[in-house]
Amino acid sequence: MLEFLFPLGLAAFFLAVILPLIGSKLGSSKATRQAALIGTIVACGAILAFALEIVFSNKSFSLLAYQITPQFQFSFLVDRLAAFFLALIAVVSMAVAIYSVPYVEHSEHEGRKNLIVSFMNIFIVSMVLVVASFTMFSFLFFWEIMALSSFLLVMVEFEKKETQKAGIFYFVMTHLSTLFLLFAFLFIYTVTGTFDMGQIRAEPLITSVAFVFLFLGFGIKAGIIPFHKWLPYAHPASPSNISALMSGVMIKVAVYGLIRFLLLLPMQTWWGILILAAGTTSAVLGVIYALKEHDIKRLLAYHSIENIGIILIGVGLYVIFSLAGFEAIAFLALAGALFHTLNHAIFKSLLFMTSGSIVNATGTRNIEEMGGLIKRMPKTALLFLIGAVSISALPPFNGFVSELMIFQAFFQSTVLANPFLEVILISSLAVFALTSALAAACFVKAFGITFLALPRSEEAKEAKESPKLMIIGPAILAALCVALGVLSLQLFSVLGFSFPLPNMLFIGALLSGFYVFTFAALREVASRRERIAETWGCGFPTQTSKMEYTASGFSEPIVTILKSIFRTQKKSERNYYDDKGVIFKDGKAEIHLMNFFEERLYMPVANIVRKVSLKVNNLQRGDVDLHVAYAFATIVVFLLIIWWFA
Amino acid sequence: MDYLALIAYGILNMLFVLLVSPLFISLIKIVKAHAQKRKGPPLLQTYRSLAKLLKKETVYSSNSSWIMRATPLVNVAAVLVASLFVPMIIIPQSTDLVGNIILFLYLLAMAKFFMALSGLDAGSTFGGMGSSREMAISALIEPVVIVVFAAMAFAFKTINLPDMFRSALASNVLVDPVIILISISLFIVIIVESARVPVDNPETHLELTMIHEAMILEQSGKNLAMMELSSAMKQLLLMGVLINILVPWGLTADFTPQAILISLGAFLLKAVILAVIIGLFESSCAKSRLFRLPGLFAIALFLAIITLIIEVFA
Repeated sequence: MLEFLFPLGLAAFFLAVILPLIGSKLGSSKATRQAALIGTIVACGAILAFALEIVFSNKSFSLLAYQITPQFQFSFLVDRLAAFFLALIAVVSMAVAIYSVPYVEHSEHEGRKNLIVSFMNIFIVSMVLVVASFTMFSFLFFWEIMALSSFLLVMVEFEKKETQKAGIFYFVMTHLSTLFLLFAFLFIYTVTGTFDMGQIRAEPLITSVAFVFLFLGFGIKAGIIPFHKWLPYAHPASPSNISALMSGVMIKVAVYGLIRFLLLLPMQTWWGILILAAGTTSAVLGVIYALKEHDIKRLLAYHSIENIGIILIGVGLYVIFSLAGFEAIAFLALAGALFHTLNHAIFKSLLFMTSGSIVNATGTRNIEEMGGLIKRMPKTALLFLIGAVSISALPPFNGFVSELMIFQAFFQSTVLANPFLEVILISSLAVFALTSALAAACFVKAFGITFLALPRSEEAKEAKESPKLMIIGPAILAALCVALGVLSLQLFSVLGFSFPLPNMLFIGALLSGFYVFTFAALREVASRRERIAETWGCGFPTQTSKMEYTASGFSEPIVTILKSIFRTQKKSERNYYDDKGVIFKDGKAEIHLMNFFEERLYMPVANIVRKVSLKVNNLQRGDVDLHVAYAFATIVVFLLIIWWFA
Repeated sequence: MDYLALIAYGILNMLFVLLVSPLFISLIKIVKAHAQKRKGPPLLQTYRSLAKLLKKETVYSSNSSWIMRATPLVNVAAVLVASLFVPMIIIPQSTDLVGNIILFLYLLAMAKFFMALSGLDAGSTFGGMGSSREMAISALIEPVVIVVFAAMAFAFKTINLPDMFRSALASNVLVDPVIILISISLFIVIIVESARVPVDNPETHLELTMIHEAMILEQSGKNLAMMELSSAMKQLLLMGVLINILVPWGLTADFTPQAILISLGAFLLKAVILAVIIGLFESSCAKSRLFRLPGLFAIALFLAIITLIIEVFA
């Protein structure tokens, strides 16, 4: 069965890549696009069945696909960890594929629609193959395909200035990630002489160097702060189905890479502290930046950074506890991190897809111009609310359970009996709690301003509910948000784990029971009279959307309290008619928001690179003779080096 | 496990919280009124107001959606479930079904999340203002609550509330300094979470200082009654946590009528004393500016972290 499903999935992906490209030759390209997306759904179904079989039975599957030389081979090994990530990729991609059927038709260019569908399939299959890879060579190969295909997908609307900036940003960052991974893999190869992942054995110092490279490579791709800047650029620029895949799935592939190599390398405590610190910083800064954001897709992008932070907190705790010898707590933390990875993939893709529907319906990404959509798009609103409640970690939804697992691991940190680690863990715990509460605040804002009260623009007033398939795709994920939360304990016990977690099925049943009971009791006891009236307009004849609280107003208290982090600079200048400053003439005020990481980290580095390249540029005159001379000189130098060492 | 006893505990505890909680709302009002040389409302006033609200018609804004209708029910349901987590007079036998302290906190957070959404639902400026401030304050108090709870988990070696109370009861130390530090932080948490001076002012309406009252401004009739009831219950639950950790005397694990009566009397006495302290504390300070509040929270956080550090080194 396993031998059959995996190639079947790959073959279906291959068809789905080819079909749209030859679609225009076959006649109707809309039909071929739809056929291709059905192919994607079938492929995802096959991969999902394959992965679930391995996850539940704890078998493993290996396959040698092709070898250039025995060292450079494409071979795959799917164990339980890889299968877990394959299931994650497959389930989210399936929902995205369903959503994409009507969504891609929104584009005006026929050719681009075909390309989106085709590249989307390359993107998904490359992620599947990265996770399935057994050798570092094949890992890196598919990693790069994943980077390139996602870059092309970001660039779909390439004529827009914003997209160009996002594309270049993403291209550079993603290649830095590949570069660091290349360093790490070559380094491991030179030390151990193999690309085989199972055979990494080395001295602590050497593995530490490898770890730093790997951490940078995966960290950039996962979007941890300070390497996060590509996320808030790339997500708004790309189509929403692609954002859902990139944020929901691609950054999880980086998490997979990090966890995979952590399990292979002999760990050290300082790695755990580094991961924990990076995770905590990303989590809290991610959510703080999200609060300030009014572009719905950027807001979600910053929340991805936050959630990657939460996942890394779990991973960091795993390293720290497991080195201190507390296997049970370590495993709880790791399982929390992995479960949060799955949960975040599900609710973030759900949120990106529903926000894509909203953006399509209103024509804007600015939530200040939305409002009242709950009446115009009730189904989308409900789906977004489920996503918002899950990401805010409210019981009994899935986000809560995974955060609970990480909290519980934290709560047991006194067993470490190491004051230094203790202080680090307590600070991290406090910051983690702050993150979780700020996320709830941010999603009250995101849902409240977007969906509730009166529409704030004509476009929002005219918004229409999305087509059926754009509801069904996210609805699958919304159902999973509920199911994974409520059935978490049962799911873990089927998988053979027992964690000291509350039974969410019981809590969920109680909550809905009390809800219905209160409703029924009120019907019996209380007055049933109802009246619809207008909201008080503070003395004005009618209430308009201008009187509503805005998104900026909503986040103002938090922004003011945290102003040292936002680095807001308010400048005001006043001119007066008299010299005592009594009679006001005119003035001006400005608020400057500092893009801290861009101004202090990215630009200085970019400037240095530019200066160096300008110097190097002098060597290149475009003269063929000169270049031949360079080539000759290089060969001579190499020969000399080889002679020296031989 | 004896499920029958567990169910009996659940029903008794829930009914107790449901029926007794409005009492303390009026009691604190009376204390505050006396501090200002006024007479204050009768002790049963909150019950009367709730009964009156239930009889009134419910007015919905034409802007509002089903969120407005669902919020009161979600609030009551969440707080009712949370009420199973805090044994007031009888400690149930050890169970992992109820009592997880983090789940308790997040049930209250769920109620708050929906309350903040309903504040935005009617489209009035006041509601939005209340929601915005409430979420800001709850975000800032969250680290304090979690660290206090972590300190409690360390002190009692469990994350289950009933088990914490059980070991507090079994402890033969009369006054443990660690518990006192935790209690001060918990007291601040009660003040914040039940929207009292200096954080919020429960007495004002249509004032720019208000937070909680602004959020529920658009609620009316039976829905308003449910919101009031759920915040009264939430206040009693938090008071219960503080009381049963600091002074668990009288709390019982037996199901005998005698023990329950003693425990009931003891709890009511302790809760009345705590309510008087809360009332006096409120009377003794002024409403502080919103942006001054982080200072208050920092004190609580500091005490909680000190507790944890003492725990580690002890």
